[in-house]
Formats: sequence, C-alpha cells, structure tokens
Amino acid sequence: MKVAISYPPIVNNLGQKAMVSQNRNVQYFKEPTYLLPVVHAQAATWLRDLGHDVLWDDGNAQLKTFDRWLSDLTAWNPDVIVLESTTPVMKFYWRTVDRLKEVLPRAIVVMTGYHSMRAPEETLNNSKTDVVLRSNHVDFVLSKLVPSIAAKKDWRLDLKVDGLSFRGADGRIHSTGDFRRVERLENSPLIDRDLIRWKNYAYENGNYLQTPGTYATSVIRDCMFGKCTFCRYNGPELTFSMMPVERSLNEYETLVRKFKAREIFDDSGVWYRGADARRFAQGIIDRGLHKEDCYYGINTRFEYLDDETLKLMGKANFRFILLGLEAADDETLERLNKGYLAENAMRNLEQMTKHGLHPHLTVMVGYYWQTAEQLQKTVDMVKGAMIKGLARTLQVTICTPLDFTPYHNECLQKGVLLAQDYDDHDMSKIIVKTPISHDRYYDAVREMYSIAFSPRFILRQLRFLLSFRKRDWQFLFTYGWRAVRRVRQHMFNLTRNRGSNGCDAVKETAPTTESV
Amino acid sequence: MNLPSPVSAEPSLHRVLEVKAIGRHAYRLRVNRGKLPFKAGQCFTVGLPGGGVNREYTSYSGEADSWLEFLILEAENGIVSAALKSCRPGDFVEIHGAYGGFVLKSPEDHRRRLFIGTGTGIAPFHSFVRTHPDLDYNILHGVRFADEQYDREDYQSGRYVSCVSREPGGDFHGRVTDYLRLHPPVERTECYLCGNRDMISDVYDLLRDKGVASDDIFTEVFF
Repeated sequence: MKVAISYPPIVNNLGQKAMVSQNRNVQYFKEPTYLLPVVHAQAATWLRDLGHDVLWDDGNAQLKTFDRWLSDLTAWNPDVIVLESTTPVMKFYWRTVDRLKEVLPRAIVVMTGYHSMRAPEETLNNSKTDVVLRSNHVDFVLSKLVPSIAAKKDWRLDLKVDGLSFRGADGRIHSTGDFRRVERLENSPLIDRDLIRWKNYAYENGNYLQTPGTYATSVIRDCMFGKCTFCRYNGPELTFSMMPVERSLNEYETLVRKFKAREIFDDSGVWYRGADARRFAQGIIDRGLHKEDCYYGINTRFEYLDDETLKLMGKANFRFILLGLEAADDETLERLNKGYLAENAMRNLEQMTKHGLHPHLTVMVGYYWQTAEQLQKTVDMVKGAMIKGLARTLQVTICTPLDFTPYHNECLQKGVLLAQDYDDHDMSKIIVKTPISHDRYYDAVREMYSIAFSPRFILRQLRFLLSFRKRDWQFLFTYGWRAVRRVRQHMFNLTRNRGSNGCDAVKETAPTTESV
Repeated sequence: MNLPSPVSAEPSLHRVLEVKAIGRHAYRLRVNRGKLPFKAGQCFTVGLPGGGVNREYTSYSGEADSWLEFLILEAENGIVSAALKSCRPGDFVEIHGAYGGFVLKSPEDHRRRLFIGTGTGIAPFHSFVRTHPDLDYNILHGVRFADEQYDREDYQSGRYVSCVSREPGGDFHGRVTDYLRLHPPVERTECYLCGNRDMISDVYDLLRDKGVASDDIFTEVFF
C-alpha cells in the first residue's frame, strides 16, 4: 500500500508556523524549530520494512506551503494518510481531512495523537476521518492496521486490531476495544534516518549546541513517571514501555560513526534512571563515543538521577538535561503531582552543574490557582538558579490545558476554562480563570526571560569560560545568538496578549489557523 | 469566581514504624500514614529527606489501615531501595502522592478478578484485597524462589497460587504463563497485571489468545 505519514504546514495569520514545543504541544513561532516525531518515524520505518511504499511527508520540515503540500500529496495518490492530532490544531485537521477527502476520495485517513485518542468519536463526528488510533503506540498499531486494510477490500466489516475507533461499512462508529499498554519497544525498528530525511531536523533546533543534531529513538515510551497532571503522557490509560540499553547504545554508535551526528537528544518523557542510566553512560564510555565530539541530552525529572549517575553522565559527554521545574512553590508542585519539593530541585541542579551538565529548566505560569505569591516564588527561584549558574537555559510557557489530560479535565470540571475554541489552546495566552490578572503572569514571563540580558547572568556565563571547556565557549558564542532570537520570540508570543484578561478579549489578537 | 481552597503543601515527612525483611531480597517498609489519602493500588514517591533521589512504590497496605506500607525489592546496585532498607524505627522518609490509576475498576461490582503479579508486583493486589475483603479474586504470583511468596497467608484460602520458576516449591513449578496456558481465566474475568514488562507482554498476548477482551486487561509496569 502507499502510506503517507503527513504533517501539513500550519501557518497562523501572523505568519507563524505551528511547531512542536514544550510538553510536545503545538506553539506558533516565526523562527523554525523542527522536532522529529519519533514514534511516527518508527512507524514509517516499520511500514516500509513490511513492504509498503511509505512517504515521509513533513510539510513543515520540508519547507512547503500548505498548497504545495496538498498538491504534492494529491499527486502521490496515497492509499492511507496518517495524521497526528493535538488540541490547538484539531479544527485545522478536521478541515484538512475533509479537504483531503475531496481530492483523494479513496484514501483512508487515520488520525493519531493524544487529543483524538482520548476523544475518538469527536474526530469521527467532526470530519471524514476513517480511523482513530486510541493508542500511543502508533507504530505498533499501524504495523497491524495497514496490513489488515491491505488484506481485505471490505476491511471495515471485520477489523480486529485492538485500540481503534473507525467508521464501519454501515457508516456507524465502531470500536475494537482497548489498546495494549505495554509493548516490547525492541520490536519496533530503529528510525531509518534516510527515509525521514534526518538532516531536515538536524539544524533548526534551538537546543542543539552543535550540529548536525538528531533525536534518538526514544528509550522510554512515553514517560516512566507519567503522573504529572498537565502532561499528555499522564492518564489512567497509560503506563510505560522501555527499550533495552544495549539496543539504544547500538543506535547511538551508528548515529555518531555513520551519520556523524554531533548532538543526540532522547526525547523520552523521562529517560532511564538508576542502574539503566549508569549502564548506558558507561556503555557510551566503553564504546569510546564520549570522545567523538558528540553531546548527549535527555529529559529527566528532579530526584531521578543520583550523584553517582550524574557524574558518569558528565564523563560520558552528556550536556543538555531538560527538567520540568514547572513552579517553585510546593503547593503547585503537589497539585501537579510532581512528586518532590522545590528545595530538592535546587539540590539536584547543584549536583548536575557540579558534573558539567547543562540543566535546561522548563517553567510554566498561569495555573488556575496560582497566586501572586506563588508566582513570585517561581520568578525568584528561576532568577536565582540562572544567575548562580545552576541552570544554563530556560523556557517559560503558559500552562494550557490540553488533550484531556487530568489538568484539562480538572479545568473543565471546575468551570475555570475560559476558552471554548480549540484554536485558543495554542499556549499563546492564558485561557483559565486565575486569582490575579493575566497581565501579572505575562509580566512574570517577561521578567524570567529578561534574565538573559542581565549583566549578572552574562557575567556568570563569562565566568564559565574560565573552565576552558569547549562547550562553554560554544554556549556563549554559538548558542548565545540563537538563544537571544528565541528569547525575543518567546517574549513576543507570550506577552502580546497583555491588557486582555479573558478569552474573548484575547481572541481578537489570537492566531487562527490558515484557511484550508 | 470559585477557586479551590489551597491544599496542604507541608513537607511530607513520615516516621518509619518498621522495616522487616521478607524473602531474600525484599522488605516491608511501614510508616506513619498521617493524613495521606489514597486508593488501593496507587503509588507514592518515597525517598530519604534531603537524599536528592526518590522512587515510586505502590501501596501494600489497605485504604483503612492507619499506617502506610510498601513492599520493596532491594534492587541490585539500587540506591534508594538500599537506603530505605537501612532506616530504623523513628527515622523519617519523604513521601509524595498518591498517584496513578492502577486501581480497581468499580470495586463494588462483584465481577470475578484475576490478579497476576511477579515479585513485588504483587503489592497493589495485596492493597486491593486488604481494602476490599469481599472481592471475588484469584491471585497468581510469579516468583523465582519459594521464599518469595510474600505474605501468602494474607490471602483467603485457595485464592493464592504461586508459580515458582527456579526451584521446586510453591503451588506450581514454572512461570505464570505456563500456569495460564493450563488454567486460562474463565469468561468475563477482569485481569490485572503488574510486574516486569516481559511478563506483562507475554501474559497480555496469552490472555488475548484465550479470548479475554482487551477492555478487561489492566496493566502496570514495575521496574
């Protein structure tokens, strides 16, 4: 079969493109960041290995306009089109599916992603989508679904793949039951880098200190902890699966030696911990990959990596450590199910920087309960961590309820959600009722990002140079300019809604997706 | 605007009541529960105060117990599990939670349930049974050695079956999958799986082959 795994370019009326951002949510940015959708890339590889003709069709990374993307896909004439959903682009996708059905009426459209998997009937009712995957294991399910469709012309009469909602032959919605939570990740192929044109993702990523960089096939799907209430990787329907350490090491060796990657990031919700993390870092050293001028980066949680493990990771040339701090007051951390106290986070940052790692903090503001005092605690802690050099980089976003996560459901139940329109869930503005004015949160965002221009912060960066480590020089000269561009962009996005307090007022300036 | 009242954010320090070895590598950690609410089967993060590292452990005690108890395997080269084992009564541990959705679906429903756990993956089922003594359940416990049949006397007679894989002893010699091939669950049994990912993958396939609906299989991976 001809299978297209497609990401249409989505541009708002400010000319910004929809990009995958913090917490794997969509945000609109002018400056590009192209993040490889890892699980879909594995799915593409698997389907190709099964003998299907696969088109890796990322219109964003391939720098296409929407019209060009549509005409190219139409010309290719696929049998199956796979799309990936998330809340702020759901309406766009529903319109796009219907447009695809006009130009490719015989194509079967499969919707994946965390929004539609939790509300499959909504997508089937609002568009001409044929099948919705209710599983996060997109690769495993597609590897069964596509052969099932290929085998039977009347597949709608007798579909037996678990975890699907689909439009049956009678036009009604049918379900094939629940999906399998735990998969053997080693059964899904490592990503074929040529198939997905890996170089399209190798340069435009603000987190790479040196390029070409790439994303590893994730070792954990999706998150080993999986309890944070705002995160799409949380839900009673999810647990996690883990890839054996040796298999991942084999991939790293190929990426470094064959593809000459100079930075590898594993975007697992949370990477290995404990003995597995140490075995991985030791494996990098044993294979000599720590001397190949390649940096390694991961996502982790506070209190997951102990001092011994961090020391080994530093030795193995790990650099970028992404940590979701989210907030610095213990009440918020407790409400979010973060599982630690703010003071413990600071202790962990000290350990990481002691071993030469570069902690990158992700922070959110605008929780529906967040008081001025709580907000100030976050601002103070973030400024303190940055100025003391305990964190090297920072990303601040607005906490936006998305994808029917527990936080999203909580907002719906408590009646604090201001936005009725999915387009408003694009993280560009606060869409919940809050105890203080929305402007206070936007100001806090500005204040945190402004640390990058603080003389004390710059002095701290200059002092890092005295360590004579290459990565510190790169940080200042290579990364610095990129960081300034990013900071400007984030500040533009996150503060342009100043003066509005409530969704209706915000809507006037809110981006709307390109008409299709 | 109706905003929720603030929740308590006191540092969650809990006094250790008892640490008791059970089997060759496991132990029970019992702590003062305080006011921590939880549903049977939920987990908590547990660590030493100021230790800088914590881990998730599932409740072993019941919802009505005044204490909170965990069944912990002392992991090879494990840092947290070793540190917690060295605690003495009166020491403090830091606990956050409860978290997670591996809980009984409709416990009041008198459906037949099959709990399948390996090693300390039996913990949530102990919590289920302690909380809901009237459950109609069978528990299948996969262990390597006979002395790993943790607290088997806590289960009603005839409901606990141990599958011991590496030595004789227990109720069945072999893995839980071997047992299930010979004794598949009866129709409409709700199946709960907790343990390592290999067991869960194998048992899931087997249950589906035996006709158990995917809607009736619930899984939680342990490390």
